[in-house]
Amino acid sequence: MTLKIDNVGKQYKVRASKASINALNGVSVDLQVGQTLGIVGESGCGKSTLARLIVGLEKPTNGQITWREKPIGNKDSTTLKIYHSNIQLVFQDPYSSLNPRQKIGQCISEVIKTHKLRAGSEIQKRVEQLLLEVGISPDLQHRYPHQLSGGQRQRVSIARALASEPDLLILDEPVSALDVSVRADVMNLLFDLREKFGLTYIFISHDLSMVRHISDFIAVMYLGKVVEYGSWSDVLDNPKHPYTKALIDAMPDHENVGATKYEKALLGEVPDPANMPSGCAFHLRCPIATPNCKVQTPELILIDTLHSVACSELKS
Amino acid sequence: MSKPLIEVKNLTIETAEDSRTLVNNISFEVFPGEAVGVVGESGSGKTLTALSILGLLPRGVVARSGEINYSDSNLLTASEEYRRSIRGNQISMIYQDPMTALNPVMKLGKQLFEVLEAHDLLDSEAPQRVFNAFKEVGIPEPDRALVSYPHEFSGGMRQRVMIAMAMILSPKLLIADEPTTALDVTIQQQILALVSEQRRKTGMSMLWITHDLGVVANLVDRVIVMYAGRIVEVGTVKEIFTNPQHPYTHGLLASLPKSNVKSRERLMAIPGVPPKPWLVENSCAFSPRCTRATTECFNETPSLKPNAFTKAACFHEIGTSQ
Repeated sequence: MTLKIDNVGKQYKVRASKASINALNGVSVDLQVGQTLGIVGESGCGKSTLARLIVGLEKPTNGQITWREKPIGNKDSTTLKIYHSNIQLVFQDPYSSLNPRQKIGQCISEVIKTHKLRAGSEIQKRVEQLLLEVGISPDLQHRYPHQLSGGQRQRVSIARALASEPDLLILDEPVSALDVSVRADVMNLLFDLREKFGLTYIFISHDLSMVRHISDFIAVMYLGKVVEYGSWSDVLDNPKHPYTKALIDAMPDHENVGATKYEKALLGEVPDPANMPSGCAFHLRCPIATPNCKVQTPELILIDTLHSVACSELKS
Repeated sequence: MSKPLIEVKNLTIETAEDSRTLVNNISFEVFPGEAVGVVGESGSGKTLTALSILGLLPRGVVARSGEINYSDSNLLTASEEYRRSIRGNQISMIYQDPMTALNPVMKLGKQLFEVLEAHDLLDSEAPQRVFNAFKEVGIPEPDRALVSYPHEFSGGMRQRVMIAMAMILSPKLLIADEPTTALDVTIQQQILALVSEQRRKTGMSMLWITHDLGVVANLVDRVIVMYAGRIVEVGTVKEIFTNPQHPYTHGLLASLPKSNVKSRERLMAIPGVPPKPWLVENSCAFSPRCTRATTECFNETPSLKPNAFTKAACFHEIGTSQ
């Protein structure tokens, strides 16, 4: 076991109203070396909060995340540093995640220096090697981020993440901000790097079709909870939770022209996490909800070898 | 064929200061009742094209030549007064981000009354019209919504308000600039359903601008594909998606993730990035990324010409080899 997320919850306090928001609620997922976990869900489902907890940017309110049998969130700074070099995060928007006043070569060498991974004379060579790894000519190392295209910038963010020689990359919507014609190219780069360095990925996205291409396992989240988990084919070809089904139906479909599925549109919107509905959080929008769903909170239950679903109305 | 509702002819848009071409000599038309999708990436000129129809080009950008013909007048040379009388009334627009398009310090009802006021329609029927406009777009409790501010509403609800504002005077043409891009997929689906229903009810024409091919596949009748400031292909939605003839359209469709693949399957990528429109004025803008490019593609600009399926601007169309 590489990464173990065990019953993790995260609450945020709202200062003005003194209310608290349950951003994550009892999330448990495991991930093995070399595998890719896709996390899908809409805004407010907790997918980015989960990413921040795994990287150690924030601490869980309850539950534990362990990485190679060691719990994270440890105060000991050396452990945290080792942890940080092992797990890296790539953000959605390379415009805001790269320092606009720093040349791209510098932004990569900084990481190498912080983690003391190369001797001074070796650093320059390593920077060039990393840039080549992500398909950027080393000639561009003296450029600033604004002198690069969106795709090139995202490649630089990936090179920076690789600079600390991580085992696990958390990719938070890594291609969503890119132009359509360069997305596939960056996705293929992620495929190549995974292969070459034996990387483990957590791929966070709202785009189910991208998730399908890259993931071995998929977790579907709604309002801070995992509502369905399984292999990519379990979740996408044999979805059981009504929310997963609705997400699949809502994906814009370029393969079937004119096949509108608008009548199937989910009603309503994601409820306010500060004011969670009782019972199943999805019951207000669910096409198959019964009065029982208002009362009973469904647990994630295994329905097949690796496929689990949190729905009380599921008759399998 | 009937007379087009709006006809854009040889439109060229440039920066005012240094005459950099942003939109290069494009022509198209939208017929009454027709929905047309304009698909392109950032910098392809799709938004500028839409803004020029309304006479709302940003400062520093000008329509250098061409015509935009709407009911016997050229909107590019028409008086501002005339354009104002058409905007919001006969041609209206919805934007990507309703938080910036709506006035944050004005109650939503008042913002709709302003539309009526601008067209001298503040009569005794106005309150009922505003109420109905809110009801029509599926806003729950319209009475309460009228006295709310934009920040009290979710993104999806704000987009509904913007649609209500655009639809209140029953326009002949609705221009939509990526109105669902900032929304979650299930909310996007609701908005697309709403717009489709409004179009069916009113018979209005639509110009839908997007980078998302999936959205237009189930929404419009015809698709215009733009690349680096030019139209590279036009066709019915069915032909564009099943028999694309321009290598860019073909490559773009091939690069999209498919719903029947196995996990870990690579995508068909187009190498490179889109060029700046002003740097590729005398060649096919797609040639540096194109596998079919030959010498002539680098030295000459292909013009749109009909083929068996669509109209494409390419010397080496894909043909039927699919």
